[in-house]
Amino acid sequence: MRKIRLSLGIAELVMLLAACLFLVPFLNVLLASFKPSSEVFDALHFPSSWEFAHYGAILGEGRFAQSLFNTVVITSLSLGLVVLFTSMAGYAIGRSGRGLFQIVFFILISGMIIPLQSTIIPIFKLATAISLINTRTLMILLYTAGAIPFATIIYTGFVKGIPSEMEEAAAMEGCGKTRTFFTIIFPLLLPATGTVIVTNVFTIWNDFFGPLIYLYSPGKQTLMTLIYQFKQERTTDWGPIFALSVIATIPLILLFFFVQDKFLKGLTAGAVKG
Amino acid sequence: MRSSRSFYRLKVFFVLPALLLYGIFTLYPFLSSLLYSFTNWDGLQSPDYVGLANYQALFHDKAIVQAAKNTLYVLAVMVLIGNPLSLILALLLNLPLRSRGLLRTLFFLPALMSLMVISISWGFILQYDGLLNAILTLFGFENGIQDWLGTMDYALPAVILILLWQGTGFGAVIYLAGLQSVPRELQESAQIDGATGLQRIYHITIPLIMPFITINTFLGIAGSLKLFDVPFVLTNGGPGTATTTLGLLIYKYAFVHESYGYATAAGMLFMVLIAVVTFLQLSITRRREVEM
Repeated sequence: MRKIRLSLGIAELVMLLAACLFLVPFLNVLLASFKPSSEVFDALHFPSSWEFAHYGAILGEGRFAQSLFNTVVITSLSLGLVVLFTSMAGYAIGRSGRGLFQIVFFILISGMIIPLQSTIIPIFKLATAISLINTRTLMILLYTAGAIPFATIIYTGFVKGIPSEMEEAAAMEGCGKTRTFFTIIFPLLLPATGTVIVTNVFTIWNDFFGPLIYLYSPGKQTLMTLIYQFKQERTTDWGPIFALSVIATIPLILLFFFVQDKFLKGLTAGAVKG
Repeated sequence: MRSSRSFYRLKVFFVLPALLLYGIFTLYPFLSSLLYSFTNWDGLQSPDYVGLANYQALFHDKAIVQAAKNTLYVLAVMVLIGNPLSLILALLLNLPLRSRGLLRTLFFLPALMSLMVISISWGFILQYDGLLNAILTLFGFENGIQDWLGTMDYALPAVILILLWQGTGFGAVIYLAGLQSVPRELQESAQIDGATGLQRIYHITIPLIMPFITINTFLGIAGSLKLFDVPFVLTNGGPGTATTTLGLLIYKYAFVHESYGYATAAGMLFMVLIAVVTFLQLSITRRREVEM
């Protein structure tokens, strides 16, 4: 027993060391964000003095609050719509046999293989035609549409794993079918919801090309386009760019740390029954 | 009860929002692209119908062949090296370690870093006066110094290294979900029967997590085939065409050379390729899945 515990301890140490080596690219950015401007490009050494000036520069930057707000609003509303629409669709498909809904399923997951580059110009023309271009609404609708295929697979698989006795019992009680879905089924889908959120939140939060192409007003920028602008403006003073990169990543790290268990459960069900 | 008409109506109502949104913002743009692929449109003037000319021209396009080679190289490395690496990492992270949650988060971290941040931090490491060359110099390997992203021979391997770094933790998290679904009793009874650790992995764990191997292989193949953003930001496809992937080439045809009709035709063929490869993969790995 003691031998096993000792070898586990060694394994743990080796894994932690490996993780640190693995994280060098991130640690680089983290350390550089605390370095005095003169040392920022010297990657080999620790900061001679730890400075928070770059963080101060970001927090004092007027555009930062606006772009953080835009990113949070776009990301959370997109995720909300994806979860609502695909859980409903996944429930309908998962509770149907072959036929119409099977076809709907294949249509919805066909997007897994459509290359993005071929839809940029048609989307731009369409958005201009319905005057949604340069709006946060457009970004929300695009992200939602983009997340539909994979989320549909996850929810459909998960619904198939839930016995339909639930709904039948609710029907006996005289509970309407729509209400049954939202009060009984939807809460049961929580692990799948966790998976859908985790597989999309990083993509949406970190997306750079979308806002670059479809949002061009200064007030509409997201954190990623702000980093890009900083790179254009400050060709030599990169400290604030590193600080902003760290600030933009931290919420995601915390989120993953706290939802990872739920996320794993949702994937299990979705993959096995999918 | 399930097949009642009112429930059918409800189900139709339930799929409508997703179907509408998807139809407007994915299917419709895609189908109009399909129409453009039969024209000589440059994105600005009105398009003329040219029939199959774009598609015929594609078969004599040397740049496409080079980009296809690069793309398949990435695909082979990601599936044959990246995927097993993810599985090994997952098996290690599944050990009863005290810092499991922390370790998982640390290894997953590259997957949640944005492309902007990744390009900045890896540029830092790989550029000529960057961290990697500084370390090589420190240990006296001056001869090994390279401009890693600027040399024909090293640029694509450097891009692939970044992709492996980004994807291994993500794949491992998906495999971890699978490992947690393997019943403990099976492992224990095999242990009592005298099966070694490696035998248990080969005969019990791998067959049981086959669905997850399917998912990871699918995501790996689709991701490698569609690869566009990392080489776009880090090397812009260079030096020369060393890191130009199919996705990046199509982007350049559309937005740099402004031959939009031609680019969409390439996009269509590209999609057929993705469909064929992923369908083959799914039919092969799905067949190997076992019922619990």
